[in-house]
Order: sequence, then structure tokens, then C-alpha cells
Amino acid sequence: MRLQQASASSIGSKILVALTGLALFVFLIGHLAGNLLFLAGPEAFNQYAHALIGNPLVYVAEVGLLSVFLLHVAKTVAGVLANRSARPTAYATRRWAKAKNPRSRKSLASTTMIVTGVFTALFVATHLATFKFGTVYEAAGIRDLYRLQLEIFSAPGYVVFYLVAMGVILFHLWHGLSSAAQSLGVDHPQWTPRLLVLGRVLSVAIAGGFFLIPIYTFLLSRGVL
Amino acid sequence: MAMTVTLKVWRQAGPAAPGRLETYTATNVHPDMSFLEMLDVVNEDLIRAGQDPIAFDSDCREGICGSCGLVINGIPHGPDAGATTCQVHMRRFRNGDTITIEPFRARAFPVLKDLVVDRGAFDRIIAAGGYVSMNVGGAPDANAVPIPKDVADRAMDNAQCIGCGACVAVCKNAAAHLFTSAKIAHLGLLPQGEAERGRRVVQMVEQMDAEGFGSCSNEGECEAVCPKQISIASIARMNRDYLKAALGK
Amino acid sequence: MTLDSRVPGGPIAEKWDRRKFENKLVNPANRRKYEIIVVGTGLAGASAAASLGELGYKVKLFGIHDSPRRAHSIAAQGGINAAKNYRNDGDSIYRLFYDTVKGGDYRAREANVYRLAQVSVDIIDQCVAQGVPFAREYGGLLDNRSFGGAQVSRTFYARGQTGQQLLLGAYQSLMRQVDAGTVDLYPRREMLDLVVVGGQARGIVCRHLVTGELESHAGQAVLLCSGGYGTVFYLSTNAVNSNVTAAWRAHKRGAFFANPCFTQIHPTCIPVSGDHQSKLTLMSESLRNDGRVWVPKAPGDKRPPAQIPDADRDYYLERRYPSFGNLVPRDVASRAAKAVCDEGRGVGETGLSVYLDFADAIRRLGADTITARYGNLFDMYKRITDEDPYQVPMRIYPAVHYTMGGLWVDYTLLSTIPGLFVLGEANFSDHGANRLGASALMQGLADGYFVAPYTVANYLGGTATPPVSPEHDAFKEARAASQARIDQVLAVKGSRTIRQFHRAIGAICWDYVGMSRNEEGLQKAVTEIRRLREAFWQDVSVPGDRNNLNPALDYAGRVADYLEFAELLALDALERRESCGGHFREEFQTPDGEALRRDDQFSYVAAWEFQGVGARPALHKEPLVFEEVHPSQRSYK
Repeated sequence: MRLQQASASSIGSKILVALTGLALFVFLIGHLAGNLLFLAGPEAFNQYAHALIGNPLVYVAEVGLLSVFLLHVAKTVAGVLANRSARPTAYATRRWAKAKNPRSRKSLASTTMIVTGVFTALFVATHLATFKFGTVYEAAGIRDLYRLQLEIFSAPGYVVFYLVAMGVILFHLWHGLSSAAQSLGVDHPQWTPRLLVLGRVLSVAIAGGFFLIPIYTFLLSRGVL
Repeated sequence: MAMTVTLKVWRQAGPAAPGRLETYTATNVHPDMSFLEMLDVVNEDLIRAGQDPIAFDSDCREGICGSCGLVINGIPHGPDAGATTCQVHMRRFRNGDTITIEPFRARAFPVLKDLVVDRGAFDRIIAAGGYVSMNVGGAPDANAVPIPKDVADRAMDNAQCIGCGACVAVCKNAAAHLFTSAKIAHLGLLPQGEAERGRRVVQMVEQMDAEGFGSCSNEGECEAVCPKQISIASIARMNRDYLKAALGK
Repeated sequence: MTLDSRVPGGPIAEKWDRRKFENKLVNPANRRKYEIIVVGTGLAGASAAASLGELGYKVKLFGIHDSPRRAHSIAAQGGINAAKNYRNDGDSIYRLFYDTVKGGDYRAREANVYRLAQVSVDIIDQCVAQGVPFAREYGGLLDNRSFGGAQVSRTFYARGQTGQQLLLGAYQSLMRQVDAGTVDLYPRREMLDLVVVGGQARGIVCRHLVTGELESHAGQAVLLCSGGYGTVFYLSTNAVNSNVTAAWRAHKRGAFFANPCFTQIHPTCIPVSGDHQSKLTLMSESLRNDGRVWVPKAPGDKRPPAQIPDADRDYYLERRYPSFGNLVPRDVASRAAKAVCDEGRGVGETGLSVYLDFADAIRRLGADTITARYGNLFDMYKRITDEDPYQVPMRIYPAVHYTMGGLWVDYTLLSTIPGLFVLGEANFSDHGANRLGASALMQGLADGYFVAPYTVANYLGGTATPPVSPEHDAFKEARAASQARIDQVLAVKGSRTIRQFHRAIGAICWDYVGMSRNEEGLQKAVTEIRRLREAFWQDVSVPGDRNNLNPALDYAGRVADYLEFAELLALDALERRESCGGHFREEFQTPDGEALRRDDQFSYVAAWEFQGVGARPALHKEPLVFEEVHPSQRSYK
């Protein structure tokens, strides 16, 4: 079987969605780790950002990241459209089977993946516009992202928006992480139930980390801290 | 203590005809009746009134042939876990209830009439590779290859699939992954099925896609309605087998 | 016409080898020129179609279901016998043969039964190689259990779903042939007529159950694998669509019907709960391994079972049959249950059930062991009855389960019409007057995998079959006749539903041709059946039209055939003035109420030739000769 043929099949597509999703999750971990340097003060934060932006390899990484992101979006959107056409006539009455049997993993999170996904994509666009392509301040000869962040999160509206966005990402990962494992064929009688829990713990952890940043920055800008 | 229930039943004259929900009243419903026996009684009344009875598939009426399959109040095979439609009894409902009855819905399962759908797609998926290629006469002694009990048991867990299609009916994507993976797991677990493991998964998945089923969102609603409670662990296994085959291993 | 069983000569153990050697063969290159029509997709039909397809014949397979996998073989629970002697407990081909002939109360053809026992070992090999997940032991080898009172453990099983797994194995082999292009599948088709051209079975007329279209299919041979006629009793453990139509229409075209009165009533079914009941559910016979059957000693004792002390209970099977106890054969257990209920000692609301009590077994083995052995059956019982068998005894009652009678076939499974083979439950040959547990699956697969492939080749290789087109006059005539019958039943537009007639014919059969029969009742049955048949054609109401998916119309055709067939059933029971196996004539019993066979007069197969509806069929007798197993009174005491 050709790889190309395999990647177009329903299972191949889901494997790609899983792989790209996990890659984006790994990116999120790195992104959070970097962002947490904000807590260490302007110098450390800006130095870290500069080291990142200043490296010519960053363009390769950005193209890679963008491709992964676009592939994830393309495969999921195409999947949703194909899945819609797999049931042309809707049911008049619909209830979750979970109601009769708790073995189902269906949740509000799992049923809204496309919604949370689309929201996340829109958020990423705004996020990039706000930060990556936002006002360029300089400090000590390098870009002062610390100041930009302080400025942006001094506005309560932005803070709320980011908190909501992080909540949405949490929701997406709540089902997404364990779902990716299932798509990749990870299964074990004892470990699968734990993996389900781990997926939720990780999604809370990562979102929790990201929650911290706008709140911390807001409080800092208001002189509370 | 006879009950009366109101039924909203999907009526559709033929594959191309439009359909709609029609309302019927079922009186003299006994709690010990099975759901299908209740429909039998409704049909008797319809025939006496000169109307067309409600068409539905059913045969063994003991939960093993896989013929019956109705979506009852929004859930395939109704309210009981691990049961088929024919195993649901009217004692699960209350006097005065309104019950909506619809056919299994999927592009790959076109409605033939009322509540009867065509599940031929499942046969074609099996024909694509759901077997061990061996001819009569060529078998070694049955005990020539020992199979650990737990492996045989897991194969049996999957082999129990009755091919009813409830997994497709409940799936928001109308996916047939649980059905397909159950056969792949059944045969793939056994030494007899090992030789064709890669070829089997590739061909069956290709056929499954060609039939117009959706893809898997890993929600496990299929497992929850499966009369035999086949686990979506089998889907993970199928994905793994598929990945191996795609990578040429 | 004399019936030639075509049993080869020589010692019994060599007959089948000899037959195979003497068989004509068909050159592999020529096989695809032969079209073989197979009707029915159960164990016999699916296995025959798969193996003939593997050999290279062009096979057309017809079934009434939407998929071949749904045929009623799927519902068999208990297991399949094979003389593997894996348990070293003294089993052998000869012992399986002996047990089956004896269990059938000496009314089966010895040579057929011996062959069945011979190929039983190959069936298990075949099924395991297909991937049938039989139960295994920790060492990885196949598990066996003792079943239906057998003294050896020779039953292979797959939980309580052996029939399902065997059928799916055959179905998978079949679908492999569909994929290979050797088998064409015709689902949702009902055979309405057999087409005979020049004295040979050359095709069928069938109705497409979705479009209503009548189709003609021609071939060089027709294999009828359409199952039994248990649903003539209305309530039975059979599927609601099981029917006699295909076999009956073949009978009307000249195939003799043999021993129709040999019907099996299974002792362990869930009792009837009300008029609405559409079918009865079997509880596997294996339950009798640990459950104890009893009723109160006093008639009319309505105390709840827990309040009836041991001294007031009658464990009647253990009392009457001390050596076999609760494991006596099916016919004996069923009659005993009827007897105690007739005495007014039956339990439950209707008084038509007996207790099957696990309290002792749970005390002895623990609830966990009982769950491991019977958990799914206990769950099924609870789901249906709303009673918990761990707490209160199960209630069981006999129900029609299997029909040993069927179309007459010779040793090669050929009926009295050349080219028409009959396999599985649809034929009469291997079980005599009573079938032992775990033997039906064995027979269906034996016929399909290991007998028909040889004997069909012999027929085709040795018979000239000139080309016949589906537009031949014989096909046109058959199509017109089928159409006329459909139009006729639709035109009645009476006031009674088909189900009412089915219930009525079922009640007549159950009351007079059921577990216990007598001359007067059978005479009455014949009269009532005729009256009911007339009423049907004047007063039945069949809704809908003919060019559509119309399950009511399909049902009407089947019930109409039952109204003809039932008369033959009663007549055969009337003519067999002896008791044997499942056929119990009250006039012929031992002083202690056991079946009394009359070998001097009735050691024959009764093969009936159709003479017209309502006309007395002609009786042909195939004498049964027992060279190996000498008939004796069965004793399970």
C-alpha cells in the first residue's frame, strides 16, 4: 500500500490528525515553558525571546509548525464534512448512548471538537497579530516583548478573552489527547483507562499554566504584585 | 395492568420516497411483551383497519441474528445496555409514554421501507477480507496449534459481533469502525489469521471507506450501544494494524 | 416407485470411502460451466456454497435474510459433537455413531449416521482453521464438555454461541468465494417454486422480497438447505421467519417428504407469558448439568418455591430415572414435564412450567462458578422474565425446537427428484425420531462441507444436463403459478389477520400433534386443519401490494403452505402407530409410561408423495435395516 493512499483513508487521516495534534501539544508545552519565563522578569524573558527569534532556523520551525497546524485543520475540516455526508438524513430524536451505558467516552468536549478547533484557529490568528506582528518595542537592543505583554494584559477585556481561549483549548485537549492515543492504536487493558485520565490531567495542567500568565500579568500591571 | 403508549414511527414507502413520523396509539400493551411484540400487535390493528403495517426487520427474537435494529427514543436498540431491540421489554416504559421509533440512519444503510434498511455494505466489508483463506480439506488437526485461553477469549469477545449495525447508527459520523475492527481483531488475534493480517486490514478499511461510512471520533458511543459490548480497544488495534501495514511492516 | 437409498455395500466403516471412490468426478476446468443453485444460507447452505465455490463451480446462493449471516443456525447455543476423543474418555467414531442411532430411537439410516460420525472430526479441524474461537483450556488446547446426557465429553463449544461462531465461519468462507467471483449472492429472495425440466431439478422461481419481482434462475443442480418446519406450531424456538415453504413447494413438485411427525420438543425453554408471545426462547440444555428439575408433590401447591420444603418437592426426573437423572434425553425430559403439569403440579401463573433450581449448585460450587458457566443464560432469563434465577428457581417448559423429519434423501443427499439435493435440517436422514444435543450443527456442516461436494460432483459427472434457459416453458409455468398464488392471497381481502391463522394452526398442531398424540386427536386435527385452510382462503386479510417490500405478503405465503403441510404432519403421526423418540402415541406406551416402539411394523422411513392439496398422499416405505446397532428399548433409568 502506498503511503499516499493510506493517508487519504479514514484511518490514515485520523492517524495524521493524531500525529499533528500531538505535535501541536508538544509545541504548547514548549510555548508554555518559554512564557513562564515572564515570571522571571523582563531580562530573562526578552533574552529567551530574542534567542528564539534571532535563530535563522526559526523560519524552518515556523514553516514546519504552520504546516502541521494547517494539516491538522485541513484533515479535521475535511473529515467533518465527509462525516456529515455519511448521514444525509438526521434523526428526529437524538440522545447519547452514554445514558444507557457508561462505557461511552462521549462528552461535551468530544462533541464540540470542531467548534473548539475552529475557535482555536481564530484565536491563534488574533494571538499572532497581537504578539508576533504586534507593536515592536525595543529594550537593550532587542525586542521588548515583556513590555508588550504587560501592556496588552493590563486590559481586562484581553485577559478575559485569553482565559476563555485557554478554556476552549483545555476543552479541545480534554478529548483530543486520549483520542489521539486511540487513533494511533495505543491500547492496553490496564493502561488505557489511566491514559484517559492522564489526557485530562495534562489538558488541565497546560491550560492551567496558560491561565496563570494573563492573570499574573494583569495583576502585575495593576501593581497588585 | 395493560399500558397505553403513543408511538411516533418513521414511515417511508420506498427508498426514494420521502418519509415522515406518524403517530399511533398502542393500547393493551402488556409489560411482559417485547418491544417487537408490541409492534406486532400494532400491526395487527393496522391490518384490521385496512392500513399498511409498519415494516421492520426481525428474525430470531433472541438477540443473536442481528436482524432487528430500531432507534428507540434516540438510542439504537433502546434503553437496555447489552441488548438488541428484540430483547427490550415493555416493562422498561411507563403507561402514557411517547416513544419515537426511527430506522438506523446512514448513507451506507439506505432505507428500503419504513424501518427496514439495507446493510449489504457489511457483507461487502467482510468479503473484502474478513476471513481466513483456507479451503475445505486443508486443515491440520484442531489441536495442532495451541492458543492461550486468554487470546481465544479475546478473539471470541470480538467474534461475537452480530452485524446489526447499531454502532453505525449511533455514531455521529455513521462510522463502521467498530464492526470492521471486531472482525479484524477476531481474526488477527488468532494464529490462523496471522498470515493475512496486514492485507486484511488494508482491504477491509478500503471497502469500509468506499461504502460511504464516516471516520472515527473515538467517542465510544458504538461500544455503549453494542449488544455484545465489543470494546473500542478493537478500533485501536485496527488502527495499529493499519499503521503497520501502511509502513510496510 | 421403490425408494433406493443407494447405500454402498461393504462394512459400515468403509461405505463412505467406497462411495467417494466410486463417485464420478468433474474435471476442474469444467466446473465453472456448472451452475449450482443453493437455497438457504444457514450452516448447510453456507458451507455447501463455500465449498462448491472453492472447487470452482458457479454457485448462486439464495436466502430470505438481508445477509447470509442471519440464518437461524446462528441461534444454536450449546455445541457441536465430534468423535475426537481428546479427553481420552473412550469416545470413538463408532461410539458417536452408536449413541446417535440409539438417541434417534432406531429410526435413522445407519450408514448416514456412521458417515456423520466419521466426518465430525474433520468439521472441527475445518472450523478451527477458519478461525472459529472455540473454548479452550489454559494449556491452549480445545475444551470439551458433556452435553445432553452423553457419557463422554465430545462437545466443542464457543460460550453459549456455538451456532453463531460456526455460521460466521462458514459465512466468512462464503464471502471469500463471493469476493473470488465463484458465488453470487441473492439476499432477500424467497424460493417459491422448484422448476423440473425433463425429470431433473433445473432451477427455481423466487420472489425478490424488496421489489416483489419474480425471478427465474436456472442451473444443473439445486441444493435445498432451507431448514426445518418448527414454526408450524406458531410458537417455537425457531426464528419468526423460519418456514417450510421452499421444502413444501419442492414436495409439491415431486420430492417425497419423510417422517414429518418426528418433531423435537426441547425441555428447557422459557414458558409462555401471554397471548402476545411471538416466539419461545431456549435456555441451553447445559443448564441441566447443574440445575435440578422439580415440582411440588401436591397438585395445586401455590406456595412460593422457597417455602416448599424438600420433603414436599418432587425431583421427578431424579426419581424416575435414577441413573441419568436430570440429564435424560430431550424427548424424555419434555414428556415428563408435560406429565407433571397435566397432573396439576405445574408451577407459575399458568401452571404450565416446572422449576429448574440452581440453589444446590450455588451452595456447592458458589455463585461465581455458576456465573462463569451460565452467566449469560441467567442474564437472558432475567431480561425476559424479570426474575432473578440466582434468587428464585428458573421456570421452564418444553417448546418445539427442531424437526427431524424433512425431504427424503438417499445416501448421497439426493431427493426423489434427480438434481435436487437436500441438506441439513431440511432433510430427514440422520437423527431418526429424536436428535441428540449438539448434533444439528454437526449434521449441517457435515452435509455442506464434506458430503455434498462429493455427491454433487458424482451427479453432475454422471448425468447429462442439457442447457435450459430461464425462459423455458417450465419456468414460465412455475412463475405464472407463483404469481397466481400471490394474487389469489391478496385478493381474498377478508377479515382475519395472517397471524390469527398462524396462531390457529399452531394451536391445533400443539394440542393434537405435539408432545403427546393419539388416534382421536390426530383425526380431529386433520379435520380442523382442512377447515382452517378453507377459512384462510376465504377470510384472510393481506395488506399492501405485490410489487413492494411487503413482509405481510411473505408471511401469508408461508402460513398458506403450513396449512397444507400440517395435514401431512398429522397424517404421518396418525399412520405411525408406535411411540418412538419425539413421536409419542398414547396408545403405545410401556406400563410405566415410556415410549413403546414397534420395530416389527414400523422400522421404516415413511416417505410421502404429494397427490394434490387435500388428497391423501401416497406412502412409500424405506425399510430400515440395522446391521450394527441392534434396536433395544432405550432405558435411562
